[in-house]
Amino acid sequence: MKKTLIHLTTSPYTGLACKEGLDLALVLGTFEQQVDICLSDAATALLFVNQDPSSEHGKQLHKLLDGLEFYDINNVFIENNKLTNKTEIWPNTQALNKEEWHSLFSKYEHVFRF
Amino acid sequence: MRYALLITGSPYQSKACHSALRFLKAALSSSDHVLEGVFFYQDAVLIGNKLTQPPRDELNLTAAWQSLAKEHQLPLSLCIAASVRRGIIDEKESQRYELTESSLADGFQLEGLGRLVELINTTHKVIQFR
Repeated sequence: MKKTLIHLTTSPYTGLACKEGLDLALVLGTFEQQVDICLSDAATALLFVNQDPSSEHGKQLHKLLDGLEFYDINNVFIENNKLTNKTEIWPNTQALNKEEWHSLFSKYEHVFRF
Repeated sequence: MRYALLITGSPYQSKACHSALRFLKAALSSSDHVLEGVFFYQDAVLIGNKLTQPPRDELNLTAAWQSLAKEHQLPLSLCIAASVRRGIIDEKESQRYELTESSLADGFQLEGLGRLVELINTTHKVIQFR
């Protein structure tokens, strides 16, 4: 089975890209495809706990993270040291060192960026 | 090699649709390559708006895609969820939402993300233009 990586790079609150990337991940999971997610740059804001966006800010996407396991999406990667230790983030991420992060993208047949 | 294209960049904020069109023309000119389909997602679905009227001295990108697709009988799929939220509506969705108009250009069709999953599984490469 082909493996797909969804790479989220954009903030959940500056546009629809982050949401639509997550939507694709969920659909791939629904179709029993092997899919992992990784986050970098502004998309890491998705991981912060205690988010309370208004409807003008955008949809509360953080809540979707707890449901990923129901779609058999069990790997959510971030690059180590890219988030400050003071920030409390969603606990089920896997932090990769720099080498692991760079080799991550060659492990998948498909990498889609949002 | 069998290809599919995933286009996510807006036709107005990026050159994704333009670059994909050029890639497609090059790929179709070679007998070594087969294009299984094109899937438009995110703001790229705006390419399927039949109401757009570009200035006469500029490329009509929607018409260019329609022409190439017709010539090569190439299916052009727009993500239905991404399209409907952006006002790209076919006759069926127009009835569903009790609207009086539709806006989907000829040659394009609204389909679910399952169509993209199908393309992923039936091709050697899916190339994203963003």
